[in-house]
Amino acid sequence: MTSIQHILLSAIEATANEKELEWVKTKSNSDVKAIQIAFVSAPRFIRKVAIRIDEKVLHEAVPDWQIEEWTLERLVRVYLLLHIPSDQSEEYVKNIETLFDTAEINELVALYSALPVLSYPEKWLFRATEAVRSNMGVVFDAIGFGNPYPFLHFSELAWNQLVLKCIFNDKPIHLIVGLEKRANRKLAETLSDFAHERWAADRKVPAQVWRLVTNFMNDTILADLDKLFQSNDIQNQTAAALVCSETTFPGAESLLENYPQLRASVQKGQLSWKQLEVHQLCYV
Amino acid sequence: MCNKHSEIQQNPSHFEGSAEEKVTAQHVQANFMDYIKDMKFFDPHIHMTSRTTDDYQALADAGVVAIIEPAFWLGQPRTGLATFKDYFSSLVGWERFRSSQFGIKHYCTIGLNSREANNEPLAEQVMEILPLYLYKEGVVGVGEIGFDDQTPAEEKYYRWQLDLAKEANLPVQVHTPHRDKRKGTERSMAIALEHGIAPNMVIIDHNNEETVKSVLDQGFYAAFTIYPFTKMGNERMVEIVKQYGSERIMINSAADWGISDPLAVAKTAALMKMKGISDHDIKMVTYQNAIDAFAQSGQINVEDFENNTVIDQSKTFNGNTILRGGQQPRIDKNAIVIR
Ligand SMILES: [Zn+2]
Repeated sequence: MTSIQHILLSAIEATANEKELEWVKTKSNSDVKAIQIAFVSAPRFIRKVAIRIDEKVLHEAVPDWQIEEWTLERLVRVYLLLHIPSDQSEEYVKNIETLFDTAEINELVALYSALPVLSYPEKWLFRATEAVRSNMGVVFDAIGFGNPYPFLHFSELAWNQLVLKCIFNDKPIHLIVGLEKRANRKLAETLSDFAHERWAADRKVPAQVWRLVTNFMNDTILADLDKLFQSNDIQNQTAAALVCSETTFPGAESLLENYPQLRASVQKGQLSWKQLEVHQLCYV
Repeated sequence: MCNKHSEIQQNPSHFEGSAEEKVTAQHVQANFMDYIKDMKFFDPHIHMTSRTTDDYQALADAGVVAIIEPAFWLGQPRTGLATFKDYFSSLVGWERFRSSQFGIKHYCTIGLNSREANNEPLAEQVMEILPLYLYKEGVVGVGEIGFDDQTPAEEKYYRWQLDLAKEANLPVQVHTPHRDKRKGTERSMAIALEHGIAPNMVIIDHNNEETVKSVLDQGFYAAFTIYPFTKMGNERMVEIVKQYGSERIMINSAADWGISDPLAVAKTAALMKMKGISDHDIKMVTYQNAIDAFAQSGQINVEDFENNTVIDQSKTFNGNTILRGGQQPRIDKNAIVIR
């Protein structure tokens, strides 16, 4: 048994009743066909109750993988996937692909949730970008949030699509694993363009997205910050003050000096991106 | 799959009632919402794949809280397995999601429809993948299957799918033919019994006055497809409930790509109310009986829709409101300014 199988089984044991545990143990030791059917039919045998998991141990094995909000049935599905034999790459990929091809919504969620622990991670790149293209909210969320797979494997292009689509759909970008580490110039410039479009339509941009421009400032973005300062919206102003205080871009410091109150607040450490991490966004 | 294209040709007006019935129909059409306040509906046969989001909105507004979408014929024959697979996947995936955006719980039945059963090489392949879908969450039966032209191929795959249903312990939703209906219905029931399936696990669909008595007498569920402004939707359905009561009878819209009305269940409830049918009987035929029949699959949890829940899996899965995937914002269609 691999260490990740072990960790997940412990979590299952901590949550499942005797009958469920028996089912999981029997099915996970069956042949591929039976494991596939078990993956599909799991909700018939496993409850959707909240799980208990030792996060510390989990994150030693798979950093940043957020599974504490999963239900038992989702966890069991991922656990079952870890029992599909992976020694033959071609056969393995075919077996997983069959599940993707025929999946209903909750199965897709489980499959995408499992990407960080599936074998041959490079084989799932196309699938993962398909989830980013998905219009099904929970499917997008499964790849986008608390999932280290994009951070570890996405190209810059795919990464930027993930972040942009998240912002576009008013979803909380701070739940994306590795958000700051993978910030890049192209993304910063696209965000600026995106903000201009939204402003032209008299709509807002969630304030926390500006955290992604700090290290990639240019004159256009500096002008955007000025607009934020003047917007009469405390969240926008907070974002602008934070960027100005964090960036080394010339002109940012003097821009901040025009707003002494905000400058004082940011210097005293009273402002943080955390304050702008909004979960429930309205349709603006 | 209700073959209404032929009816459309025969009855372009789609209204066969008397002058008096027409007045009633117009009244129901204009005022049905007044009669069904606080009622909840379950439409056990509706093909939302063929409908627009406006229909979902209208269903939600009319009190339809849950629906079943049977797998059917899309209006032209499929030519390959992949399109079947994508269709089945959409019934448990995209369509389910689309429905959830309007707070409507979406279930489906999965099966090889009778018409396409006649393409045997393709039918063989479809039978191969059916088990992968039948065990899925929210799949509440095998359907809609049965006879259309009553060919040997149709019979072969009907029997085969009855065995799958028995093995998976799933209810069966049986489409009955439009031509030679009475005999086709009797034959469908006899074969189901022959395969050892309990009659209470079988929902015989598209009944009329000629078939209903035998269906109920033998212990099957009897479903009626309502086209509200033909005679069936008006006096006939009310008369059937008056005559046979509400036990094991359910009504559905079977709305699809033909002329049909997704609000047929709600409107028929209004008509029943007008005609003095009791609230109890109305509830049985527009809600409860369908739930009782299909809940035998073990896949219906009434808490998912009984108390006006908003979204299903998102809530269960994440407990985090933003992760719901976005309830559709309400759009005011009367507004002139579009923002
Ligand atoms: Zn139909």
